[in-house]
Amino acid sequence: MAATSELDRVSMLVLRYMRRPIFVLIIVYAIGITGMALIPGMAADGSPEYMSLFHAFYFFTYTATTTGFGEIPNEFTDQQRLWAILCLYIGVIAWLYAIGSIIHLIQNMHFVQALSEYRFSRVVKKITEPFFIICGFGDTGSLLARGLSDHRFTAVVIDRDPERIKALSLRDYNVNMPGLCGDPSEPKHLVDAGLQHPLCKAVIALTSDEDVNLKIAVVSRFINPKVHVICRTTSSKHKEQLAPLDNVTIINPFEIFAQLLSMAITTPRLHNLNSWLVRAKGIRLGQPLNVPSDNWILCGYGRMGQWLHKYMKLNSINPLIIDPDLEGSTGIDRFIKGYADHGTLSDAKLDTVAGIVAGTDNDSDNLNILMSTQVLNPNAFTIVRQNHHANQLAFDAASVDLILQSSLTTGRRILKYLISPHIQILIDYLREQGEHQTEKISDRLIASIGDQIPHLWSVTLDTKHAKEAIDLLNTGHELVIGDLIRHPSKRCELLSCVPLVIHRAKTPIMLPEENMQVYEDDSILFCGTEQSEQLLASTLNNAYTLHYLLTGKDVSRGFIFRWLEQLARNKKSSAA
Amino acid sequence: MNLERVIFGFFIILSLTFNFVFVVGDIDNPTHHSVWILTIAILVNLIATGLKLGDRSQVGALLLAASLVADLLLITARVVWVVYQNDTPLGPSAESIVTIVSLAGGALLANIVSVIILIGDTLMSRR
Repeated sequence: MAATSELDRVSMLVLRYMRRPIFVLIIVYAIGITGMALIPGMAADGSPEYMSLFHAFYFFTYTATTTGFGEIPNEFTDQQRLWAILCLYIGVIAWLYAIGSIIHLIQNMHFVQALSEYRFSRVVKKITEPFFIICGFGDTGSLLARGLSDHRFTAVVIDRDPERIKALSLRDYNVNMPGLCGDPSEPKHLVDAGLQHPLCKAVIALTSDEDVNLKIAVVSRFINPKVHVICRTTSSKHKEQLAPLDNVTIINPFEIFAQLLSMAITTPRLHNLNSWLVRAKGIRLGQPLNVPSDNWILCGYGRMGQWLHKYMKLNSINPLIIDPDLEGSTGIDRFIKGYADHGTLSDAKLDTVAGIVAGTDNDSDNLNILMSTQVLNPNAFTIVRQNHHANQLAFDAASVDLILQSSLTTGRRILKYLISPHIQILIDYLREQGEHQTEKISDRLIASIGDQIPHLWSVTLDTKHAKEAIDLLNTGHELVIGDLIRHPSKRCELLSCVPLVIHRAKTPIMLPEENMQVYEDDSILFCGTEQSEQLLASTLNNAYTLHYLLTGKDVSRGFIFRWLEQLARNKKSSAA
Repeated sequence: MNLERVIFGFFIILSLTFNFVFVVGDIDNPTHHSVWILTIAILVNLIATGLKLGDRSQVGALLLAASLVADLLLITARVVWVVYQNDTPLGPSAESIVTIVSLAGGALLANIVSVIILIGDTLMSRR
């Protein structure tokens, strides 16, 4: 199928709609002008005079458009006036018809849709920076868009719901976020959104319908195999279908949620570091949660509950499960069948447990469980699942130890993946290394950044981003990471940033020491302040600052001073 | 203290001050403006330009540009002086001196920019 552009569609619609009115106008004009030119008039001196074709056109134009300049150049005869009356009526009617058709066209829904699609694809074509396509603008989609905007990344949004697209245009993003109202699984809409654009980095399928997500993933793979696809799905069937495709990442919100929960229980320091890095509210680095390691109650055993249970079992926790329908579930030995209300929770001896997870898919049920817990066992560690972003205030007020919101955790995971893919590798590495290593890195981050907002960024040592550093490396100098992060004003102080990962030839080097050498095309992930990012970027592009950082001495600037310095050095060496 | 920065700053500020010394006075009064001062100002400016050559930083490029502008305007002023110096037995007439001093005034502006950049760069590096 040849791709028809939106402009073609719009102009075709206009032409098809306006064909008849334009014909009517032409015929009416022709009749009026011919008549006016044929009817004899009278000159000022009484001799007969015919109107020229140009004058007839002039007269008809101002008559048909109801302007009415009068009888020019001479006063009309009665025959002429008769014809003028006819001209006036047919002209005005023809114009009303034409204008009415245009208004009708503008009100036509298909035309409005085609016009907005045309405008949208024009905006997308003009994007000059790398961008992402977000399909589905629900809780997760809007959180992701907000996060991308904070990091100054553009995203193109497609959603089926016109209200959400309207809401998108009212948000105060730092960058332009064009939105299209349409079915995101339709290939045409994905192409309009820039799927074939050379700067399109990834397609993120976040609609509530998992079949649609699957279709978006498959369609994107076919149309542009280079684009990375991130697909949200909870079904294992879809996962099996997508897993063999490369360049496709499957995000299961329930699994991410369960991973985070298990992280909070088994490696609280890592959980603390992770939450701090994603700028979670009220998190202070170095103050991990004190999560009990056994004796738990798990309320809710749906899809989410099953994942939670699986991960708790992996951490050798055997929680008591409370759920109204537990049919067909195997591998559970401790359970109570029933709604997690006050009575059931009393039966479950809530007053003796160490912690409780309110994990049902209903926010009011979860709040009820919290209320019962506060009455029965105020000391229990509470973890609650928040389903809807809109209920934030209620959950904040409930003084819970840990709130996990599925859309938020999913959004943050995807954001982390898009902005700095290496950070997740680091988190996985730290989980394997154990809490000791996490504590060390946390202490370094506290010492370096303190209470400021953490900022993650990657620097690639190439000629585009670090010209002078590359020149230095090419002339045989060695560059160690500890020198790069010195302060350009005071060499003995360090910038407020910590290098976390060096990505060299596709292999990550975790937590590099200060004396680690760097080479061309290394990509270094830093965590620090935004100010230190700017300082580092300018250091890498300034030969004099780099020289100062490496040696502590200012190199001479300009030919004359360099020549003088050379002269002085030669004198010294000849004297010695 | 860095001897190189002292010499560098000395010539940049000296070219500004000589330029000012020439410009100051009534714009149409030939007796207020000395051709000797103008010539020295050109000389100092050229030395300052030479010191700026070969600096690879962004600030260095801007300093060089400002210096070249000042050179261009001062040399033009000197050429105009040569052309009109026979207007009167004492030198250029009031009309000609207005042109010469205006050109030198433009060079003064470029020199002020130079000095501001120099001060800004020094304050930014804080060492």
